[in-house]
Formats: sequence, structure tokens, C-alpha cells
Amino acid sequence: QRIEIHKLRQGDNLILGFSIGGGIDQDPTQNPFSEDKTDKGIYVTRVTAGGPAEVAGLQTGDKIMQVNGWDMTMVTHDQARKRLTKRNEEVVRLLVTRQSLQKAVQQSMMS
Amino acid sequence: EQSPSNQTSIAMMQEPQEMVEETVTVEEDPGTPTSHVSIVTSEDGTTRRTETKVTKMVKTVTTRTVRQVPLGPDGLPAMDGSSPLGSYTDSIDRRYLKNGERFITPQASSTLTRSYNSYNDSYPESHEGQYRPYGGHDGYAELSDSYGSLSRGVGYRPRYAFVPGGSYRPDDGSFTLPSRRDNYGPVAQPQVPVGSSVDLNRSQPERFQPEPYGLEDDNRSLGVDDEGYELDPDYSTVNRRTSAGVPERGRPHKGRGYDDPLDSELAEERIPYLHGGYAAPLAQPERGSMASIERLGKRSPSIDSIRKDPRWRDPDLPEVIAMLSHPIDPVKSNAAAYLQHLCYENDKIKKDVRHLKGIPILVGLLDHPKPEVHRKACGALRNISYGKDNENKVAIKNCDGIPALIRLLRKTNDMEVRELITGTLWNLSSYEPLKMVIINHGLQTLTNEVIIPHSGWESEPNEDSKPRDAEWTTVFKNTSGKLRNVSSDGAEARRRLRECDGLVDALLHALQSAVGKKDTDNKSVENCVCIMRNLSYHVHKEVPGADKYQELDAGQTTGTGGSQKKKKDDAGCFGGKKAKGKKNGDLDRNFDTLDLPKRSEAAKGFELLYQPDVVRLYLSILTESQNFNTLEAAAGALQNLSAGNWMWSTYIRATVRKERGLPVLVELLQSDSDKVVRAVSIALRNLSMDRRNKDLIGSYAMGELVRNLPSRQQRSAKNLEEDTVVAVLNTIHEIITDSSENARSLIQTQGIQKLVAISKSSQSPRETKAASHILQMIWSYKELRNALQKDGWNKSHFQSVSAAPKGSKGTAGRSGYDDSTLPLVDKSQDNEKSGSRDMIPMDELGPDGYSTIDHRDKERKYKSSDSTGDASEKEPLKNDTNRKNINRSNRASVNLVDARDIKPQPVDSWV
Repeated sequence: QRIEIHKLRQGDNLILGFSIGGGIDQDPTQNPFSEDKTDKGIYVTRVTAGGPAEVAGLQTGDKIMQVNGWDMTMVTHDQARKRLTKRNEEVVRLLVTRQSLQKAVQQSMMS
Repeated sequence: EQSPSNQTSIAMMQEPQEMVEETVTVEEDPGTPTSHVSIVTSEDGTTRRTETKVTKMVKTVTTRTVRQVPLGPDGLPAMDGSSPLGSYTDSIDRRYLKNGERFITPQASSTLTRSYNSYNDSYPESHEGQYRPYGGHDGYAELSDSYGSLSRGVGYRPRYAFVPGGSYRPDDGSFTLPSRRDNYGPVAQPQVPVGSSVDLNRSQPERFQPEPYGLEDDNRSLGVDDEGYELDPDYSTVNRRTSAGVPERGRPHKGRGYDDPLDSELAEERIPYLHGGYAAPLAQPERGSMASIERLGKRSPSIDSIRKDPRWRDPDLPEVIAMLSHPIDPVKSNAAAYLQHLCYENDKIKKDVRHLKGIPILVGLLDHPKPEVHRKACGALRNISYGKDNENKVAIKNCDGIPALIRLLRKTNDMEVRELITGTLWNLSSYEPLKMVIINHGLQTLTNEVIIPHSGWESEPNEDSKPRDAEWTTVFKNTSGKLRNVSSDGAEARRRLRECDGLVDALLHALQSAVGKKDTDNKSVENCVCIMRNLSYHVHKEVPGADKYQELDAGQTTGTGGSQKKKKDDAGCFGGKKAKGKKNGDLDRNFDTLDLPKRSEAAKGFELLYQPDVVRLYLSILTESQNFNTLEAAAGALQNLSAGNWMWSTYIRATVRKERGLPVLVELLQSDSDKVVRAVSIALRNLSMDRRNKDLIGSYAMGELVRNLPSRQQRSAKNLEEDTVVAVLNTIHEIITDSSENARSLIQTQGIQKLVAISKSSQSPRETKAASHILQMIWSYKELRNALQKDGWNKSHFQSVSAAPKGSKGTAGRSGYDDSTLPLVDKSQDNEKSGSRDMIPMDELGPDGYSTIDHRDKERKYKSSDSTGDASEKEPLKNDTNRKNINRSNRASVNLVDARDIKPQPVDSWV
């Protein structure tokens, strides 16, 4: 699913209103969202209520595949964070996937 | 089309290929060729300023042509007829676009910057005022590269190529200019009596401009030959074409400052000229200038490096140079324009011109009342002055070229001429011996004429409309580039610049308005910041009255209070060594609450260089700019300012901290650019002469610094140059000196492993030495030895460079450290954001803290650090548990992030 988040300006920072976990430098077994515990992708761990992310439709547990075209499946945590928080970007376009979507895709493939 | 080709084939069978090529080029960048002469000069001048060698440009041009049209074939230019006009227009646009782009391309200046960077290596600790000699000459080589690339980017090359190719494909392919001339020649002659020399003049510029080329192409494609040699038909054709093409062509002219009405005239003239040109070589006997033009036309091809016909090489130049003294003004200006075209990226020609004594004539032409003449002459000089061969520059200087240029600058109001002049001066200023000469003659004039008006100082800020911005920016950029060059020349140069009335004020004002407009990536800003950096170099030693600011030896370690009364009487307060202050930690401690001295009058002139206000400016630039050179320069300026022992540096150091500059710098350590990392780390090193800075830097920056060190195992290790690695190592060394806290944090960031690896296996002796110094220092902290030994390190690692790090033990050590820091992190967690990252236990640890460095929490973090620091200013900072915790958390976060394999808990970042 493609989600477009317009960052909210707070003081000197642009925030998106969610937090991420994961990364190739992190331990994937701790990820409560991933089906596959070796998945080192970037997952959304929290979404601030009423924040730009929630408004845009992001949900906790979403796995972020791309940010503005940049791949997020094989990045370190820090790189992911950076890609999301570029100062000169007002909007970030994410490509995310979630369990419900994955199941839908699987079902459609199987049928 | 056919006719011209035919003619050309008749004229020069040998150049069919070139014709084709050129045709292509012309189509590609009609603008380039024409601009080449007149416009190009300016553009070349701009680009050339930094890079003296433009050799690349020629290549580019060639390539383009070749690509465009396959060589070889019958030589008929693949002029589709349509393209010329179309492309012409495009090229014109492109040309103008280039003007705009020009300001952005950093490549040209990149090399230059580098030279300046080395210049500003003011790392006070070990080498007070280490002043690397201006690598101007090194810069040349680099510059040429960048120039080349710059040109590429800007499309100069194409333009250039155009010129040669475009004009006279049919004729001789080689130089468009010559062909033009030919055109002009035959046409001109009839024209001259008919039209006027003025027309001729006008057409001249056209010729060299992209437009003319376009015209030529058009002509060709349209079957110029059909027009025959008659002027009238030509005119009609021209008119026809003109109407079609002139509007577009005229555009560049307009842009360039030509009168609009002239455009049509020009077009007309051009076309006839073109036609004439085609016809002329063959049909018309040589007559006077026309004859020479024709000849030139024919020869030009040979001059062009693309052309391989040796026949035409040398004879052209003498004729051209002879034409420079021709009584008819248009001839002079044409000759000058042609010379400009010839010299474009062609070093041999430049040398020949010099040998043929062309330079004094050109310089003489600068004083010519007619604008076309001196404009062209200036363009030619600009091209000549560009290049690795500095003899041309010397030749220009020897015939008093510099005063002449300055004179002309004062006299003229024509923006293009000013661009050319400043461009030439920029080129000249890249040659070391000439810098003082330029300063002597032109500093005040340049400042008054260019810098001050264009910076908006003392007047409304530069919120001009677009066109005006572009205009002034070119001249401003040229001049600022020139000042940048000369400011690297040494103490005397710096002194002159500092004392120059209004210069520093204006530069700062310009920078401030640029920051305000968020336009910090352009070349002018880069130049200005570099000038500021250069001028800040050794400012503590060179500024008049500096001695008074020096801290006196021993004694007067009075408190902070006493000193801030008057600006000049504070020297006593600071105590401490007067020497190349290495470790002023003790002194700095007393200045925690240092108030800046109240000035009795507002700071002005060079004093602005080191006012703490300027810190804010640099920090804004560091925060906003993406231009590596600008970043490096701003960091370099801070580095310079915080170097040394004098009062202002102390203020600066404290101000950087208070303005939250440390996080900015630390973040820049993550930059991909070598020189930025280097400049920032040396700046941090200087800044850590201030005790509180040292602790802060140690806590926040250690991770980044360690990350910047090369490592076999590190996945994302940056591939940094030796100099940068050495700089980082030295910074680390400085930070851990006198601070076992920081040494401990170094250990915790797994720095030991890298250091041992470096000291053992690095290729560079400097790196090895620096790394082993650090290791030895760490070992000297006895209290840390236990921890080290727990990790598996033993004394041999630290004392010798040959011990191999035990990888596994190192790993174990890492976890050990992780464990040890966790509790602290937990504690500090409370101080950190109240993030309730319940998702994953322990994720509240450092990672958040770490991540928050970049986000809003960064503010908080530093704030708290500062506040705690302030509160306990009198106490050793280590006792500040708050701060300690924060430090710990920062470090821990770094650990967690770094220890990729070990981290048990996933980190969570708030975005």
C-alpha cells in the first residue's frame, strides 16, 4: 500500500508521527510484528494518535518497503531513520505492507 | 544546406567530417558557439575562474559533435535544416540556463576549495597556524577537471564546440568563428559601406554567439547557398531567417545586454555574412580585413583541435593579431572575438598568442572606447588567462593588464563587460604571484564596485527580481571567487583584505541574506564563506591588537567576572600559557560563565570576523547548506576561530556550545564528503579546548568519530582519505586527553578494535602514529585498564602496534560494555525523552537518545547538558550525574546502534 505522509512541522523539526524498529543492524527476533522472525526490515512500532502518519493511514506493524523510492528492506536502523527524516522533504511517500495485505496477496495468488 | 556543403566541400574537402560534426554541434548548442565568443567568454570566464584549464571542454564538444553526426559521410552536414533553428533556440536557452546553473555547480570551485581548505588547517594544538601553502597550482589540475566537468554541466563545452563547428561547417568545419568571419568578411565588406561598421560590429557578436551559429546552421540548412553571394538576397534570406530565428536568437542577445533593435540588424547582417562567408572564400578576392577574415575563416578550422588539417594552424594567429590593430573597429572586435574563440581551451593557441605579442595589444584594447571592442578583448583575455599555463597570466600582468582591467571595471556599466573583467581577474588571481598585485590594484575598487553594491550591505537586502539577481550574482561570484583566491595568499593578503573598508561587513551581510533566503548552495555563498574562512585563519595572531587579547602567562587567573568589562583589557583574565595553547582546559573552566565583553562601539570591519555573532551565521550555514565546499568552509571558519589562545577564541568556543553548534557539527561527521568530515573533526578538536565542550563532544561525538574510522568489519565504513582519518584520530586523541570519561566512552564505542587495527595495519604512517598515540593515552588511564583487560585487551595492544586484536574477545568486550552501560542507560532514560517505547524493552535506551540527536529531542538533550553544565560550572563536570547520565545514554545509544550483532533489543526510532 502506498502511503503519503505530509510531515508536520514542529519547531525546527519535521515529524511524521510514528516510530520505527528493525534494520539490518538490529535483532529481528524481537520484532512482534513480523511473521518471519528473520525479517530485518523496518517496521512501524508505534503511531502517534492524530499524527501525520495516522492521518495518512499508516498502521503499527506495517513494514516499510520503500521511502520516496529508497529501498528500506536492507538498511540499518539509522539509515532508515535518516531517510525518513530528511530536512528538506516535506512529504514522504512510503510503500508499506502489512499482514492483512500479505494475506490478501497470497490468497489471490493461490486462487 | 546543400549549397553550403558544396561550397565547403569545394573549399575544404578535407573537412567534410568536421562539417558534419560541427553541424551537429551547432545544432546541439547553438548557443554555445556564439556565446562562446561573446557569451561564452563570460561563461567561460566564470567557470574558468576557478579552473584554469578547460581542456575538457573541448573534448566535450567534440564528443557531442561526433555523436551527433557520423563523420565521414559525404561531409554534408546532417543539417536537417530544421534543427539549426530549433537547436539554436534551445542552445540559447541553454546558454542562459547555464548562466543560472553556473552558480550552482560546485565542481569548479571544489578544487579550489580544497586548496583553501588545506590553507585553513588551523589546528592549534600541534601546529599553531599550520598554514599549508596555497595549493593553487594543485588546484589547477583539479580545477581543470572540475572545470571540465563544470563545463560539461553547464554545457559550456557544447557551446564552445558550437562556435567552431557551427559557423562554417561548409567552409571548413574547424572554426565556426573563422567561417563566421568569412561570412562577415565578404558580407561585411559590402555591408560596411552599406550598412555601417556598427552593423558589422553587431553582427560580430552575433557571430560568436550561439545565435550566429544558429543562423549559420539555418543558413546552411536552408540552403544558404541558394542565396548566392549577393547581399541583397542574403538580406532577404537573412531577413527571412531572422524573423524566424531572430526572435530566438535575439533573445540571447537581449539577455546579454545587447540592444534589442540590434538583433534584427544583426541577424540580417549575419545571414548575409554567412552567405557571404560561404561564397566569399571562394569567390571573393582577399581584400583587406575581409580577406584576412576569410583566410582566418579557412584557417580557423585548423586551429580547432578537432580539425586535423595542419595547414591552417599558425598562419591564422598572426593575422588575427594583426587585425587587432586594424583601424576599423569592427575588425578589431571581430578579431578579438575570434581570438577568444580560438583560445577556448586551447593552450597552444594561447601560448602562441603570447609569443606573437598579442597580449599587450589586447590589453591596449581594453581602453578602447567602443564597448564591442573592449568587451571582446576582455573575453579574449579571459580565455587566455585561463589555463595551466601561467605565463599568460604573467604576460597580462606584465603589460599592466591588471590596472587596465580595474580601470575598465570602474568605467563600464555594462554588466557583461563587468562579468568578463571579473572573470579575467578571477583567472589571474589563481596564480600565486599575481595575487598581491591584484590586491594592490584592485582590492578597494572591487570591494566598492562589486561586493558592496551586490551584497546589499548598507542598503536593502538582495531581494531583487530574478534577472537582476542573476546578473549581479555572476559578477559577484566572479569577484568573490577572486577574493577567495587572493585571500589565500598569505598573511599580508589577509591583512589587506581584513582592512579593506567594508569588505568583511559586506560579505557577512551577503551571507546573512543568503541564509535568510535559504539559498546557501550557490557558488557565491561558497566563495564568501571561503573568504571568511581564509580571513579567520590566524586571526588571533594577525589582527592588530591581537596581543592584547592574548592570555597572559600564569597569574591572573581571576574569575570570569573581571575580564568582561572592556574588550581590550581582558587579556589578563585568562591566564594560562600564551603559547600555542594546547590544553586550556583549566583556563576554559573558568570561563564557563564568561560574558562576552561589552563593546564600546559596534564591531565593524574585520572585527566582525570573530564576533560571536558570526558563530550563529556559520552554524546556520552548516545546518542549511548542502554544498560540500560551503560546509567545509564554514567548518573551517569555526575551526580557525576556535583555534588559539586568545580571548575571542574562548568566546567563540563557548558561543558555539551555547548556540547548540556541537550537535550540528557532530551530525556533519556523518557526511559523505571527506573534506567536510575533516574540517568538522578538526573544528571539534579545536572546540574541545574548552573543557565543557570537550566533555560534551566526548559524549556526543565519540560514536560518530569512531564510525568514521575505517574498519574491516564495519559494514558501512566510509572510505575516507588518509588526511581525514588522521584528523579524526587527532580529534579523538584530543578529546580523550585529560578526560578519562571520554576515554571510557571511546572504549564503549568499540573504538579500541578499530584503533588497534589501524595502528597495526594501516598503510599510512601518520595514521598509525596517531592511532598508537591514542592507544597509549588510553592505557595511561589506569582505571580503565581493568575494563580493557576484561575485554581481552592487554598491554601489548596499547603499547605496540603489532598486537593483533582478538576479534572474538573484542566482541565479547563489546557486549561487556553494553552490559555495563545498560544500567546507566536505564537511569538516564528518565532524563531522556519520556518515550514510552513499550514495544520493546530496553529500546528506550540510548537509541532513542541517539536518534533524538537528530530530532527535536536533540534540542532537549543539549539543553539539559548545557543547563546542567551551567549549574555546576564550578564543579568538575564529571560529578554532574545528570549530565553523566545523558552522556551515558548517548554513548549507550551509540553502542547499541553500533553493536550490530550484539544488540539484544531492537532499537526504536521516533521519526
